[in-house]
Amino acid sequence: MSFGDGFLRFPDLFPGRRGGEPWGDRSLVLEVPGGPYLLAGLAAAQEEAARRKLVGLCREVEADAAVAIHLFRAPPADFLDRDVRGWEYTLDREYSSGAVLLAGLRLMGRIDWAPTLTGGLWTSWAGGEEWASVFENFFRVLTAYRLLEQGGALLHSAGVTDGASAWMLLGPSGAGKTTSSRMCLEKGALVLSDDLNAVLLPSGGPRLARLPFTGDLGDRSGGPASYPLAAVLRLVKGEEDRLRPLSTAAALASLVAAAPFVNHDPWRRETLLATLERLARSVPTYELEFTLGGRLWDILPPLPT
Amino acid sequence: MSSITLSTVFRRRSDVRYRRIEGEAVVLRQSAAEVLVLNEVGASVLDLADGEHSVREWIDALSGEYDSDRETLARDVLTFAGELAEAGMLEVVAEKKP
Repeated sequence: MSFGDGFLRFPDLFPGRRGGEPWGDRSLVLEVPGGPYLLAGLAAAQEEAARRKLVGLCREVEADAAVAIHLFRAPPADFLDRDVRGWEYTLDREYSSGAVLLAGLRLMGRIDWAPTLTGGLWTSWAGGEEWASVFENFFRVLTAYRLLEQGGALLHSAGVTDGASAWMLLGPSGAGKTTSSRMCLEKGALVLSDDLNAVLLPSGGPRLARLPFTGDLGDRSGGPASYPLAAVLRLVKGEEDRLRPLSTAAALASLVAAAPFVNHDPWRRETLLATLERLARSVPTYELEFTLGGRLWDILPPLPT
Repeated sequence: MSSITLSTVFRRRSDVRYRRIEGEAVVLRQSAAEVLVLNEVGASVLDLADGEHSVREWIDALSGEYDSDRETLARDVLTFAGELAEAGMLEVVAEKKP
């Protein structure tokens, strides 16, 4: 199946460049790691839905944003209707040296690197929850690339903090990210997200940053915040609660597997490998075997001094 | 897959990228987004799979680096080559008689 075939009626007419008819003349700025991001071309209902979805992260346009996202109209007839019952939704992606193209439910998007990282999003949704979902699906991918460009990464993980330092819990679906997050929450921890978190690698040491992309648990509304990263832990359900150090290579493999979108991109994989190797070398990494109802939270290693 | 012998010549598939780290290798197969960690012998096999040298020549090159006897080394290398080929990391390009 070729790019877009599953979502678009006319895949060959996918926008060859960022342009089209904006939905409106509204704009707002999103304070999210990697940003600020300017979202331009919004209709009033779309702005309202974005503000409702991203409470505490939106502000008025004041100065130049780091990344601009332009929103354009697309007629409903451009998209195929899909029965999504029992289906795991994944955006269709096509990679090239200068752009990543995205196709999904009522969504066409492109991320371009010339002259700077910029996003273009076409949809037929005029507002409401449907529009907000389309935007979030696009924004997750854009954020992954923006963080990579800044020397960080978006990682499929649970992020928990005691308010002073943070831990990142990795694992594929079913490994226990939500379960372990809930166990930490019950011990008084704050869960940043049980789905996607940002890792930043400033000179002062790795930091785990809050993103507005949560699963069942997480704090979407607390505004941008980051914490020193104490450890990266690969989750394994087991018979005991214990930590085993991971080799750098094993940690890197887990991190790469947890880096959605960009880990499929042949044009950016060397950058991803280099970034995540730097992370694996700069923070303690463990396999965390845990039991349900156990003392997972109590054995998380402290921030190295 | 045809049987693997000491005369088999392998090369890494074009979508395979890897990094050597402290004796191990992290291998990324792009088309499947699979990530594997290989030990030192496995990492060496990836290094040597250049599409020109046979398994026998790999063993010649490795025999000076490892303590194990040649027969054991040959068995390990053939096993690794088979597993990596099975995982889609290597492909057979030729048979090269000694």
